[in-house]
Amino acid sequence: MKSSLWPGIKLVFVKEVTLGLRFKAAWAAMLMFALTTLACVSMALQGAPLEPKLAAALLWIILFFASMAGADRSFVDEDMAGTLSTLKLYGAAQMVLWGKLLYTGFLLLCLTVFITPLFLLLTGAEVVLGGVFMGTLLFGTIGISAAGTLIAALTCGAQVKSGLFSILMLPVILPVFLPAIFLTAGALGGGSAPLSYLVGMALYDGVLLMGASVLFDYLWYED
Amino acid sequence: MRAILGLLTLLVLGLVFFVVPPAEGLGYYVRLAFFHIPVAWVAVLAFFISAFEGGRFLQKGEMLADAKSAAAAQLGFFFVILATVSGAVFSKLTWGAYWNWDPRQTTIFVLLLIYGAYLTLRGAMPAGRRRAKAAAVYALFSFLTVPFLVFIIPRLYFSLHPSPVINGSGLAMDTVMLAVLMAALVDVTGIFYGLYKWQTKRLLAEGENV
Repeated sequence: MKSSLWPGIKLVFVKEVTLGLRFKAAWAAMLMFALTTLACVSMALQGAPLEPKLAAALLWIILFFASMAGADRSFVDEDMAGTLSTLKLYGAAQMVLWGKLLYTGFLLLCLTVFITPLFLLLTGAEVVLGGVFMGTLLFGTIGISAAGTLIAALTCGAQVKSGLFSILMLPVILPVFLPAIFLTAGALGGGSAPLSYLVGMALYDGVLLMGASVLFDYLWYED
Repeated sequence: MRAILGLLTLLVLGLVFFVVPPAEGLGYYVRLAFFHIPVAWVAVLAFFISAFEGGRFLQKGEMLADAKSAAAAQLGFFFVILATVSGAVFSKLTWGAYWNWDPRQTTIFVLLLIYGAYLTLRGAMPAGRRRAKAAAVYALFSFLTVPFLVFIIPRLYFSLHPSPVINGSGLAMDTVMLAVLMAALVDVTGIFYGLYKWQTKRLLAEGENV
């Protein structure tokens, strides 16, 4: 990334944070969705012990669908507010993409930090491999942010938006999602947690970031 | 072209039902493989074509490339359903369950999801260049999953699937079966090609890609 891009990226990121804190809709939707789902799971379990594999799958389902409730807004909100054209006029594609991507990553990290301790507390799951657990959460968040930002831009012009974001996201994010569940299960004491999977997740994150960066130019600039 | 394909189809059917011997451990259930493998191959081929034509659209901006990409995806969706259903039936007959998340079942299912997502995206946007661009970007972005589907998934799950026909140790199939399989592959690929050309023309004529 060119160093001259950084001031623009920072500006877009700060704009996103300011707007996010001012309107709070994306934050509220995402955090409340996660909390409601977690509460449902916990109530249904009634304190019964949870197998590590099941716990890992539940944690990632909550994180994935909660992130869908917040990450899809980044371009649609701009479009509805009429500010997307202005952003197109002043912001270069890569500045906008990376600024919004950083913001989505920040949003999802906050979600993860909020929901994971609650999940462990309410389900009684114990982390055996802390480093693997943290690494998996981090790489999972990066992958969802990378794919989510590009797909949020894709769905911007769609007439039917309800559910479209999740439909487009799932096949692309499965390469992060499945190893993440596998590694999380291992970190919770349910079998092995090979580091090669973590490396694989990191590599796929890199591929998604690169793919999003290359393809976003085509979406951002008119013919 | 149609006549040749018709004759080849009849020939393949004849060979499958009257010439191919029962396979060890599978018996005559192996006949299903001569349908399942070619349709699965075409489902994957259509995915590559859809992504390739999507890339061509982004490079050159020709709506013909968008029509080709869409036609490949529409047919790919049809073929991937055939591959999934025939695979599930084969799985039930040989392993006793329709579905067990075998690596190749997972791969074909992800492909089904990608085709479904691509067509949903096209359906959710009005026809035109903006839709063509979004669809092309998604076709290429989803193509990034290929290394994962090929290299990572088989390591994550245990597989009951037979080894690939052509593996590290050479050809792992009876000569007659292999010849019939190759004929079936040519036949189904030819059918796909014919349908692909027809569907591309239809999409362009309907103004779907204006």
